[in-house]
Amino acid sequence: MKHAVRVATALAFALVMLVPLFPLYWMVISALKGPEELQKVPPTWFPADPSLGAFGEVFQVIPFGDAFLNSVLIAGVSTLSVLVTSVMAGYVFAKYRFKGRDVLFWAVVATMFLPPIVTLVPLYWLVSTMGLADSYLGVMLPWLANAFGIFLMRQFISDVPDELIDAARIDGASEARILWRVITPLLRPAVVSLAIFAFVFYWNNFLWPLSILQSDDKFPVVLALSRLLSYSTSVRYQNVVMAGALIASVPTMLVFLLAQRVFVRSVARTGVKG
Amino acid sequence: MTVRTRSTTAVRATPGRRAGARGISRRAAAVAFLSPSMAVIGVFVAVPIALTFWISLHDWSMYTPLSEMSWRGLGNYQDLLASQEFFTALRNTVIYVLLVLVVTIPLALALGMLLYFPKNAGKGVARAALFSTYVVPTVAIAIVWGALYAPDYGPIAQAFDAVGLDAPAWLSDPGTALVSLVVFHVWQMIGYYTILVIAGLTQIPIDLYEAARIDGAGFWRQTVSVTLPLLRRTTTFIVLIAIINAIQVFDPVYILTQGGPAESTTVLSFAIQRSAFQYGLAGQASAMAFSLLLVLVAVAGVVLAAMRRRS
Repeated sequence: MKHAVRVATALAFALVMLVPLFPLYWMVISALKGPEELQKVPPTWFPADPSLGAFGEVFQVIPFGDAFLNSVLIAGVSTLSVLVTSVMAGYVFAKYRFKGRDVLFWAVVATMFLPPIVTLVPLYWLVSTMGLADSYLGVMLPWLANAFGIFLMRQFISDVPDELIDAARIDGASEARILWRVITPLLRPAVVSLAIFAFVFYWNNFLWPLSILQSDDKFPVVLALSRLLSYSTSVRYQNVVMAGALIASVPTMLVFLLAQRVFVRSVARTGVKG
Repeated sequence: MTVRTRSTTAVRATPGRRAGARGISRRAAAVAFLSPSMAVIGVFVAVPIALTFWISLHDWSMYTPLSEMSWRGLGNYQDLLASQEFFTALRNTVIYVLLVLVVTIPLALALGMLLYFPKNAGKGVARAALFSTYVVPTVAIAIVWGALYAPDYGPIAQAFDAVGLDAPAWLSDPGTALVSLVVFHVWQMIGYYTILVIAGLTQIPIDLYEAARIDGAGFWRQTVSVTLPLLRRTTTFIVLIAIINAIQVFDPVYILTQGGPAESTTVLSFAIQRSAFQYGLAGQASAMAFSLLLVLVAVAGVVLAAMRRRS
C-alpha cells in the first residue's frame, strides 16, 4: 500500500512536469522541422533533419528584429516607470497619515481587478484625442503606473520600522532622500519581483497594442507574431511561425528561470498579478 | 559664521515652527510622490470607467470626434436585450467561466496538495514547470496549441488515433471549440492557482495534522476536516481571481478562432473589441463593456458575501 502510494505520487509528479512542458517541446521541434516534415501525417515526434533555417527566415518574412526591439523598449520603459511610481506611492500609503488615505488606497486596489476590456473604447478615445494613437507613447502611457505595484510596495514598506525613518528625519534627511536612500535599499526582493512581474505583463500584453497601433514598424513582438500567423496559415510555414513564437517567449522565460524562486514566492505573498 | 550658529539655535528654540515647516514639506513630498501614479490611474482607469457608461448612452462610430456622437439613452442596452449575438456571447462567456471554474478549483487544490505534502525530490522543479506556462506570451503559446489541436498534423489527434478513438475536430467544430479553449486556459493558468493553494497550505499549522493523526484520521479524513476548511479563504480568493481572468479571455480567441466556428467561441470580450474596432459600433461595444462590469461587480459581491457568511 505504502509502495503503491509512492509509485502513484512519482507518476503524478512526472505528469505535472510533462503536461506543462509538452507544448513548449512541440514549439521547439516544430521550429526545427523542414516544410516536408511538417506536412507528414501522422506528425513526427522528433525532427528527422533538424535545421535552424526557420530562425533566420522569420527575420526576413517580417521585420521581426524591429518588433523585438519595440517590445524591449515598451516593456522596459513601462517596467521602470511602474517601479518608480509604485515605490513612491507605496511609501505614502504605508507611512503617511492623511484624511481619506485608506479609502483612496482601497479604491486604487479595486482597479487591480478591472478587466482592461471594460475601458478599452474610452481609453482608445482618450489616447487618440491626445494625438497619441499609433505611437510608442500611446502604447505605454496608460500603463506607466498600476495598482498592483502600489499594493505590493505598500505591503513591503509597511514592514520597514518607523524608527528607521524617524532617525533619518532627525538627521535632517529630506523625504526624497529617505525614500531612495533608506527605504528602497531594503526593498530589494520586492523591487525584483515587481520588475519581473511588470516586465512579463508588458511583454505579453496584446489587447492594447492591437487596438492602438496601426503601423507595422511600431508593433511589439506578440503583435508581429499574430500578423505572421495570419500571413502563413499553411502548415508548410509552421516552422517559421514556431521559430517566431520561440524567440518571442525567450525573454520572459529567461527572466522566469533566473528569478524563479523570487517570482513564485511573490505570487504566493500577494496573490494577484499586475 | 556667527549668523549661522545663531540661526541654528533659533530653530532649535522653536520646535513648533520647525515641526510646522517640516509638516508642510512632508505634505509636499506626499503630493509629489503620489501624483504621478494617481494621475495615470485617474486619467486612464477611473475616467474611462465613467466614460464607458457615458459612451454606452450614445451612438458613436469610434473614429469620429466624441462631439459627433448622438444621444441614445438606454437604446444601446435595449438593442443588446434584443440581440441574438449578445446573448450568444453572454452564454459562451458563462459556459467558459463555469467550465474553467469546475476544472480549475479541484485541480488546483489537488495539485497544491500534491506539490506540498509529499517529501519527494523534485518538488521545486515540478512547481517551476507548472508555473512556467504562465509567463510564456499567450499569443505565442496559443499558436502552439493551434498546432497541437490540428486535425491531421497534430499530436493530440495522433494520440487519439493510437488508442483507437475518433479524435474530435477541436477548434474547427462548433461543438468542441469552446471546450478546446477552456482546456488551453486551464493549462496556462493552473500553475498560478496551484502556487496560491500552496501558499495557503503553508499557513496551516502542522500540529493540526498531528492531532488529527493521533485521533486516527487518515489522509481523506484530514483533507476533508482540516485542509479544505482551513483553505476556505484561499479557495474563495482563487474562485474570484479565476472568474476575473476567465471572463476577460481575449488573446486565444483572437489568435485561434476569431470567435468561430459559427460564433461558438464569441465571448464577451471578443465581441466588445470586434464591435468597436471592426464594426465601429462604439456605443454598443460600451454597453456590452459596462454590462460586463456590472456582472463582474455582482459576481464579486456574491462570492465575497458567501465567504463572509460562512466564516
